[in-house]
Amino acid sequence: MVPLIKVEKRNDVPMALYFFTPFIAIILTILGGGIIFYILGFNPIEALKFYFITPISNLYGLSELLLKATPLCLIAIGLSFCFKSNNWNIGAEGQLTFGAIVGGGVALLFYNQEGFYILPLVIFAGAIGGMIFALIPAILKTYFNTNEILVSLMLVYVSKLLLDYLVVGPWSNPEGFNFPETRQFSDSSRMPLLFEGLRIHAGIFLALAAVMLSWFILYKTYLGFQIKVSGLSLKTAKYAGFKGKTMILVVFMISGACAGLAGVGEITGPIGQLHRMISPDYGFTAIIVAFLGRLNPFGIIFASLVVALTYLGAETAQIFLQIPKYTGQVFQGMILFFLLASDYLLFFKVKILNLKKNELRH
Amino acid sequence: MATDLRISNISKIYPGCVANDNVSLQFKSGKIYALLGENGAGKSTLVKILSGVISPDNGEVFLNERNLKLSSPLDAKKNKIGMVFQHFNLFETLSVFENLSIDATEDNKSLRVRINEILKKYNFSIDLDVPVLNLSAGQKQKVEIIRCLLRSPKVLIMDEPTSVLTEQETEELFISLKKFCDEGILIIYITHKLKEVLSLCDEVAVMRKGKVVSVSQTQNEKVETLANKMVGQKLAKIKKKINISKNKDEIFKVKHLNFYSDDPFETNLVNLNFSVKKGECLGIAGISGNGQNELFQILSGEIITPDTSIIFRNKEIAKLNPKQRREYLMAFSPEDRISQAAVPELKIYENVALNNFKSSNFFEKGLVNERKIKEHSKKILSDFSVNTDNVELKSQFLSGGNLQKLILGRELITAPELLICYNPTWGLDVGAINYIHETLIKINDQEKSTILISTDTEELLKLSDRIAVIYKGKLSKIMPSEEVTPEKLGVLMGGGSID
Repeated sequence: MVPLIKVEKRNDVPMALYFFTPFIAIILTILGGGIIFYILGFNPIEALKFYFITPISNLYGLSELLLKATPLCLIAIGLSFCFKSNNWNIGAEGQLTFGAIVGGGVALLFYNQEGFYILPLVIFAGAIGGMIFALIPAILKTYFNTNEILVSLMLVYVSKLLLDYLVVGPWSNPEGFNFPETRQFSDSSRMPLLFEGLRIHAGIFLALAAVMLSWFILYKTYLGFQIKVSGLSLKTAKYAGFKGKTMILVVFMISGACAGLAGVGEITGPIGQLHRMISPDYGFTAIIVAFLGRLNPFGIIFASLVVALTYLGAETAQIFLQIPKYTGQVFQGMILFFLLASDYLLFFKVKILNLKKNELRH
Repeated sequence: MATDLRISNISKIYPGCVANDNVSLQFKSGKIYALLGENGAGKSTLVKILSGVISPDNGEVFLNERNLKLSSPLDAKKNKIGMVFQHFNLFETLSVFENLSIDATEDNKSLRVRINEILKKYNFSIDLDVPVLNLSAGQKQKVEIIRCLLRSPKVLIMDEPTSVLTEQETEELFISLKKFCDEGILIIYITHKLKEVLSLCDEVAVMRKGKVVSVSQTQNEKVETLANKMVGQKLAKIKKKINISKNKDEIFKVKHLNFYSDDPFETNLVNLNFSVKKGECLGIAGISGNGQNELFQILSGEIITPDTSIIFRNKEIAKLNPKQRREYLMAFSPEDRISQAAVPELKIYENVALNNFKSSNFFEKGLVNERKIKEHSKKILSDFSVNTDNVELKSQFLSGGNLQKLILGRELITAPELLICYNPTWGLDVGAINYIHETLIKINDQEKSTILISTDTEELLKLSDRIAVIYKGKLSKIMPSEEVTPEKLGVLMGGGSID
């Protein structure tokens, strides 16, 4: 007997379950993590505690959690506009980097000046930078039919190399002993801190504003309606006469601006200058956040906190368990894997048929 | 060895439609058999039963007097019944050889030898090592045929094989089919093209509404007699009274409509010219796949073709998109009501908002005016007697008839001067069909015009003031419907010509 797997589409998928599967994915990820720790020779309960509880058991940890969740949330909100309308922007990391370059450039112009107007200028420049960078794949897609997945992804490396060139070459700190970094920004280019002694900064309000605004746009405006229809059926969008090209440009611009804001939030917040490592791949991880949050603005808040915790947990585990902090990526990968797997099982039925061997070959 | 295939009392009933009604047929090797019928006549159902894709409710299939149990496509393969579908089942990125080796039982070396023998024997010129995506439609079809031949079939079923072929490729196919036939393979050829039946086949069975209505030798048939059998003497019951006087204004005029596509599954349109008068219904008949899809999309503005002139109410609209055309009071009801005219996952009121005409104020200053859309939707639901008053219902829960009423209601609530609809009653039950026909007649009574693209000849004869036939992307001359008979339509739809 040869088992043969047959996959059938389920007819009625309860929507309540659709919003519940992210939780299943998280639980499975924790279990999976426990198994990995066990194989590595750690006490799994203990290790998971270091990973998921210890990092947020004090005020400083909570502040770090919010600090990491802020860029993830911002980027994921922007991505949700693209993904909802069937535009696959994979290059948020590049848009973040380019936004940081443009915003950082403005901050460097004012490195020896003070003034209330500087920070808004820097933030604005960052958003514009991300937006322009996102427009490249969008314009190529609308006018030259290129694949936005490939173009946006490849542009990530373009912007990273550009940043590399700038911090090593023309923008490197003249008093910096040839370290690959720029000058420190002036205090007027820095995000105000919310609490003394904690790193959490005003950028979190940008993220919250983005959540509110995106909810409003997606559910209350004509643009949101067009995004929704295009995402469900491009045929219908065409038939209704929506301006497809304009919409592609707009969603990419929104998405790029959000990523740019996240980038500028990082350099004006915890970092305070430009160097090579301004983002631990927030732009890629935010793709997981967007899907874990079901492309829903409030779901994304929750998802960004969960995924931010994997960053923190990895750092704690490195300190206490001496395992590399790249386990964070293992956990992020597991979340995505289990989410996709449970979605698949939610929408499809898998049947195993037993066939006699000779029935296969005919 | 001679092959004898007998189908005995096959019936297949779908909810609301008898696809095969007690079908009995007999085929013997050495001849090419045609199975002829309009869309929905039951040909495809019968073929799917023979190839094991669906099981009949009743009846049996005998091959050389042996009762076949065909419960899956595997069974058909085992019993040496080969099938070439209209759409190809090939992996585009794999090479020809890889495609053929996927379900082969022998090793690659001997398989290659056998394939080369077949290529030589039938004079096929195909490079086995290029990816399938580089092949023309005719070559892809040959790969499918080779796949069947490798299993030395007794029966070969061809489902509308020429719909994607050029004239040249069609000729080549016919030569090959005649060769197969001489070698003793029983060939069943499914088509709605009358000329092909006459030039290729020896015997023809005509199906209509799930029944076999005639079996005859093709030498005794002509295009007209076959057309008559295919379309039937369908007399319209409530034929609308024709209310067009000759002097009415032309409200819509199309000139030099040409469309060229690289996609072999799309039909090119060749120099279409026609006009519609005020209060008139222009019917466009044709078997599906002859360019209706493309024509509808060009008329609605989803496809913009260069050099075409479309004058509507004295304005040139050929460059406008569907939304802009709606502002000029055109309305559109596409064939695909489930995934194009409406989105099943959206609520009724959201689907209503798809027709966002200017005076509707559905979206004021870019914001959704939900109250207005819902009010408007309620009115459509009651005016067009859709059997719900819940505008929050997802439209996937509406029956086909109610969904079509909703769509027509949405399109008609703007009181358009011209409604273009494509198969508006496709797949609906009698009650819904009558309602929609009455609605369409009412539009003409109110001096508004309609273009009715339909594959249903009965519907066309009932509703149209003038009728033209589209065949392979060309439009016949436009005839006043009192001069049109079902036979004439049948001849034109099958590619024949009338004086």
